[in-house]
Amino acid sequence: MNDDLDRQNNNIIANWARKHSLWVLAYGTGCGAIEVPPTMTSRYDAERFGITGMATPRQADVLLITGYLAIKTLKRVIRTYEQMQAPKYVIGFGSCTINGGMYWDSYNTIKRLDDYIPVDIFINGCMPRPEGVIDGFIKLQERIARGQAKGWQHYQENLDWYRANQKKVIKNWTMPDYNW
Amino acid sequence: MDSKLIKEQEIKRNINNAFRSAEVTVVRRRRISVRFRAGILPAFISYLKEYMGFVHLVMISCVDWLEDNQFELVYHLWSYEEHIHAMIKIRLDRDNAQIKSLSSLWPHAETYEREIHEMFGVDFEGHPGLTDLILEDWSDLPPMRRDFDTRAFVAETFEWRKGREDAQDVRQTISARYGETIPEFKKDK
Ligand code: SF4
Repeated sequence: MNDDLDRQNNNIIANWARKHSLWVLAYGTGCGAIEVPPTMTSRYDAERFGITGMATPRQADVLLITGYLAIKTLKRVIRTYEQMQAPKYVIGFGSCTINGGMYWDSYNTIKRLDDYIPVDIFINGCMPRPEGVIDGFIKLQERIARGQAKGWQHYQENLDWYRANQKKVIKNWTMPDYNW
Repeated sequence: MDSKLIKEQEIKRNINNAFRSAEVTVVRRRRISVRFRAGILPAFISYLKEYMGFVHLVMISCVDWLEDNQFELVYHLWSYEEHIHAMIKIRLDRDNAQIKSLSSLWPHAETYEREIHEMFGVDFEGHPGLTDLILEDWSDLPPMRRDFDTRAFVAETFEWRKGREDAQDVRQTISARYGETIPEFKKDK
């Protein structure tokens, strides 16, 4: 199975196509979501890089986690992430996703996003400017082209580790246990 | 100054005529504060609402007086006729925090009461549904209580990322790495 995943990941033509059409799930958490509309609209116009919005997780490629994530939201995010179809990429956006940011001692926000879902690119800043966001997307595109954006594969292979972390903070686990 | 507080003094007199135990203070122009017993709170509030014109419940807030072992509920009322803001302050025993719900007077009191219930653990009798509002599956102490140790909870529940714990000025890291000097700014005296 892993050979198969690797083959999918290293397919140059497919990666080239993927990198030029990134559909971003329109889902915002935290304050950083406020930087997404200017990034997408006329001033910064992310669509010239092939980045545009998508309303449903089943058809989206990129999950943007735009800031602090409450435990309650984490549950929804995991659900969303698992519904997205591979290949899928996660961008952690703002210092809250990196180390808790200014919510470092808050009782209900997670501190390290990559403990719970695999993150391909972190964009630092509190909050990152649209230039920073676009820069992060371009870095993600470069990684996709090189076949390095393998977060989704990592998630499948280390599902137990991620599940253990997720269940540590989500007390009442009522979600279906997917199997790949 | 005194001449401007006629309305406020009159309201104070009226409240005291009806409820002798209410301690009314005129805080300043357009603001009065009332201390009251928890027992007959709904009667008192409905008196203010029906007869004194305080028809708008602005919000309910809760203060944790850990040292006195009490919670203080503050009901903010507003009168459109007199343009006066009244704060009704109720002290509750922390160990047995129970009070009657105001949801029959103002439907929107429900939301505030649910929040106070989940954040402080105050029990509102007669509330139609005291379930979680913002938190989900919370099993610890109510988080806004002052004896809830947030840091200890965070340290136990979450992993820290390395480098977070020293809380250093980020300029020091940068200067160490890139050999830049940190500019000296004048200190405010
Ligand atoms: S990193 Fe800053 S801007 Fe972003 S969610 Fe956290 S506090 Fe808000």
